[in-house]
Amino acid sequence: MTLTAPAPSSTADSISIRGAVKIYGSGNGQHVALHNVDVDIKRGQFVSIIGPSGCGKSTLLRLIAGLETADAGTAEVFGVTPERACAAKMIGLVPQAPALLPWKDVLGNVSMPAKVNRRADKLRRRIHGHLERPAPDMLDLLGKAGLTDAVHKLPAQLSGGMQQRTAIVRAFGVQPDVLLMDEPFSALDEFTRESIQEQLLDIWDENKTTVVFVTHSVSEAVRLSDKVLVMSARPGRITASVDITLPRPRSQAMLKTAEFHHFEDVIRDHLQTAWQENPITGSTSIPTPAGAVK
Amino acid sequence: MSVITPEPVTVQEPPVTAPAPQPATKSGLPKRLGFLRPAYWLPLAVLLVGLGILWSVTARDSPYLLPPLASVGEALAANPGFYLSNAWATLAVALVGLAIGFVASFILAVLVSELPIARRAIMPIAVVLSVTPLVAIAPALVVAFGFGPEPKLIVTALICFFPILINVATGLRSVSPAVLQVFTTLHASRLELLWHVRMPSALPYLFTALRVVFPLSIIGAVVAELSAPGAAEGLGTVISVASSNNRLAVVYAAIFCLAIMGSLLLLIITAIEDRVLHWHESRQGAKN
Repeated sequence: MTLTAPAPSSTADSISIRGAVKIYGSGNGQHVALHNVDVDIKRGQFVSIIGPSGCGKSTLLRLIAGLETADAGTAEVFGVTPERACAAKMIGLVPQAPALLPWKDVLGNVSMPAKVNRRADKLRRRIHGHLERPAPDMLDLLGKAGLTDAVHKLPAQLSGGMQQRTAIVRAFGVQPDVLLMDEPFSALDEFTRESIQEQLLDIWDENKTTVVFVTHSVSEAVRLSDKVLVMSARPGRITASVDITLPRPRSQAMLKTAEFHHFEDVIRDHLQTAWQENPITGSTSIPTPAGAVK
Repeated sequence: MSVITPEPVTVQEPPVTAPAPQPATKSGLPKRLGFLRPAYWLPLAVLLVGLGILWSVTARDSPYLLPPLASVGEALAANPGFYLSNAWATLAVALVGLAIGFVASFILAVLVSELPIARRAIMPIAVVLSVTPLVAIAPALVVAFGFGPEPKLIVTALICFFPILINVATGLRSVSPAVLQVFTTLHASRLELLWHVRMPSALPYLFTALRVVFPLSIIGAVVAELSAPGAAEGLGTVISVASSNNRLAVVYAAIFCLAIMGSLLLLIITAIEDRVLHWHESRQGAKN
């Protein structure tokens, strides 16, 4: 596309975090949210981050989103800084609360990203490796999310699940290189949760956007992800990385299979170990668990 | 509920079943005409009649305390054009003053919400001035600017200024962190954020301020007129002149006009608010 394509760097095709440190507060109230965290997420992967409260998984997500800056270490999103990635609208964020504009109907809300930062497209074309895609048909995307009947409804007229689906469509609508989701389903009931997971996978199958998904739920992580990063707290660090090799598409029925339970058990074990060790100081020589890859 | 107990405890008459009174209150009127139900208007009507009788009795015994209601009505009927033109003069001052105060305070509210330095400097002063009875400076302004429209407009604008400033500044900053994060990752500019997110978020706060400020603007205009006895027109002037001539009926006729004017303004602003803020939570409950 571009005449002067920059030389491909090693991180151009992945989200890469190196030696990230984030410390909140100081003195006795000091809280090490991230301690020497290294992460590599390849383009097109669905990666979940799981761990107990306060393990820094949201901080890690916010680092990628450019909402936080690391006290040490680097963060790169497909070869550029998170700030530049935001400027080029490469990042779609789905926060825990749907964060919809209450005065806009569903269509107005999902069309909102296109109305701000119009210079992003130009910037985007200059970033190496960016996949050029036509602007999506929002009505079509809303239809896939099961929101056809709600297109002209206001957020206050929607259920929690529909609000969150609207937020997901809004994030997908900018055709982001990476979709960052911060416990997006934690406020929903089990039934709604599972049906939204299915719709998320449907849309993701078509778009193959890279997804970083923060969650509390083991089964959610296993069902959705290619790779699950297990984090533990005090200090916040990644203790294991589990590749989920289950075939796709992953239907509701798969939740009951032995393979599915196997991966759930592996992740639960990692969470348990991280919980029991709970070292006072963050040692960098934490043994890599057997199930971890990379 | 409808099962009658074998032995009524205290009451001799057959106990009235609970569902029975309900059809009576739901008299088949559509929901939006609910105010036609006696249960809705009767308490007010009874109180009004009671107050009217109390007024008439007082007026008969001591005519210098209150004029007879009939004489107030006569005063209004004898010269409706007089009250109308003076009401219009007061209303014009109130609305123009309000418009000036609105524009100035809105601009300052945006400034204050965007610049922390401006906020720290201006907001404490704004809060102190908002609780100061600014109508008290009306006489001083009359001394400074004379009997023209200037002192009236300044008082009215000043009175409207601070409630709008404080509410809109709060409203502009009422955006939830999650929404801000979404727009930050989209790299929306401050202007885009202001226009697409902050200003609509501030609308409910603005209307709260307007409902306070519309009646206040009339108060400002009337007080300014009262302080400028040489002024040619306005209901405040009418009241001032009539009371110095002991014409109580005219005073109360003018006050009656002011009350009607204030109520109409309040009705208009509420109607506009209903249209503009139809999306707001407070208006969603009825629909669902």
